[in-house]
Amino acid sequence: MMEDQEEKGNAENGIGRQKQVKDEYLLQFLDSLDGYLTLLDSLSSTLSQGWLELASARHAMGASRINGALLDLKVHAAATSLKVSEQDVDSMESQPCFTLCKWASSDNGERSSGEEKSLSPQLRHRNNSQLSGIISSPVSFSHFFNFFLSCEEEKVSTRTGTPLILVDQQRQKSLSVFGVLVSPKLRSAQLSFERALETLVEIANLHTTMLSMFEQVHKELENTNG
Amino acid sequence: MYGFEAMTFNIHGGYLEAIVRGYRAGLLTAADYNNLCQCETLDDIKMHLSATEYGPYLQNEPSPLHTTTIVEKCTLKLVDEYKHMLCQATEPLSTFLEYITYGHMIDNVVLIVTGTLHERDVQELLEKCHPLGMFDSIATLAVAQNMRELYRLVLVDTPLAPYFSECITSEDLDDMNIEIMRNTLYKAYLEDFYKFCQKLGGATAEIMSDLLAFEADRRAVNITINSIGTELTRDDRRKLYSNFGLLYPYGHEELAVCEDIDQVRGVMEKYPPYQSIFSKLSYGESQMLDKAFYEEEFHYGVFFAYMRLREQEIRNLMWISECVAQNQKSRVHDSVVFIF
Repeated sequence: MMEDQEEKGNAENGIGRQKQVKDEYLLQFLDSLDGYLTLLDSLSSTLSQGWLELASARHAMGASRINGALLDLKVHAAATSLKVSEQDVDSMESQPCFTLCKWASSDNGERSSGEEKSLSPQLRHRNNSQLSGIISSPVSFSHFFNFFLSCEEEKVSTRTGTPLILVDQQRQKSLSVFGVLVSPKLRSAQLSFERALETLVEIANLHTTMLSMFEQVHKELENTNG
Repeated sequence: MYGFEAMTFNIHGGYLEAIVRGYRAGLLTAADYNNLCQCETLDDIKMHLSATEYGPYLQNEPSPLHTTTIVEKCTLKLVDEYKHMLCQATEPLSTFLEYITYGHMIDNVVLIVTGTLHERDVQELLEKCHPLGMFDSIATLAVAQNMRELYRLVLVDTPLAPYFSECITSEDLDDMNIEIMRNTLYKAYLEDFYKFCQKLGGATAEIMSDLLAFEADRRAVNITINSIGTELTRDDRRKLYSNFGLLYPYGHEELAVCEDIDQVRGVMEKYPPYQSIFSKLSYGESQMLDKAFYEEEFHYGVFFAYMRLREQEIRNLMWISECVAQNQKSRVHDSVVFIF
């Protein structure tokens, strides 16, 4: 009798723990979904701001100073790259993790969370009609996006100044395709697109987390039904 | 008041002054701008512009429109009007009208040179050039490797040749050299235009000296603001300022050492004409240009004023179109300059 009651108690505890674990997974999934949607909204507003700032710069400097025909087609190293690595979630699974290396050619890359496969080959085939409207030539979105991120590879013979100063120099170098004396609005647009890129990488990370959580929840549901 | 222009101006300039005053009456009104700011799509903008003088230039454009198409077609109208005035003009008005376009010529030269440095196709670059700044040998700019070749091969036969004396070097062209070349050329052009207007004398000299002084001052402020935080040294910055204008020379000395926008504002506020309009430099210019039409007759300033007002109007249309296309109508009034 006592043993029956003990077994019943253990079974109830086990069910309770299972329910707790299921709820945890569900909460984590909903959290990641919420974060994902928030980041999507943030990306949309950052990109809108960037495009408007670009149009404002074009209005201030003139169409001949800011247009797609000035983008640099010479072969040069991209100043920003993405690294994809595997992150162990638990002993059974791993999920991709994306890391952004900004202004890496300065050897003082800033890093933000997230990993992704190499950006350039995939995005080169995208088109953006809004972009062609603004910069008046049928340049792909990625090509224009890349110009903000790429600069000619330079030898940094001496490491003077803080990394932030070098990053600023790389930013200016990137904008120099439009001239050395550019409007502050163009610099703001560059920063907006930089933030948008960081947000994209965060979204990618959160997306993998969300999918992982979803699989966990799905597994738990199947176990419960089974 | 200035001379005896009333007695002789109309012999050679009367017809064209009447023409340009007629053109000026065709500028967009406040009601037009109100309608345009309420448009939901670029096709709405096209529909509203069809009732203005831009109508014939946009009517055959297919949907969907791009903002660049609207700007191109409106610019074509300006070019047609300019060419009509130029072909009817006699000296010295014809030279005066040509001077108005040298700024565009400089922009086109820099566009071609910069694009070539970035290995872009010449035809693609030529399509982006401003039509008012085109000249015959412009495509040949793509073969030059440095400024000496630029001058020797192409620019020696253009009106920009005299402006090159200060920037001929054998250094290879790079982004910094090109920027310095652009600003040095523009400085020399403004000073030359100023001297030409002074030589004309009378009402033209008086009115144009004010307008060009404002242009020089605005350029100085733009150079200062755009060079904050860049590698351009104070000495280099000072060298790019023109040698005339209200800010010359003491304002330039102060602007040369400014390191942020607040310091620039502080400098400008010492000059009464610029105290209230620092935040709206474009609007201030529009007011001055409009004065050129109303305050005096029998001078060439009306032609310069008209060209600048049209260009401002085209910039307004570009901004409104961009705001509509990007669904940012709340930001329309950020940059529209209401001319009248």
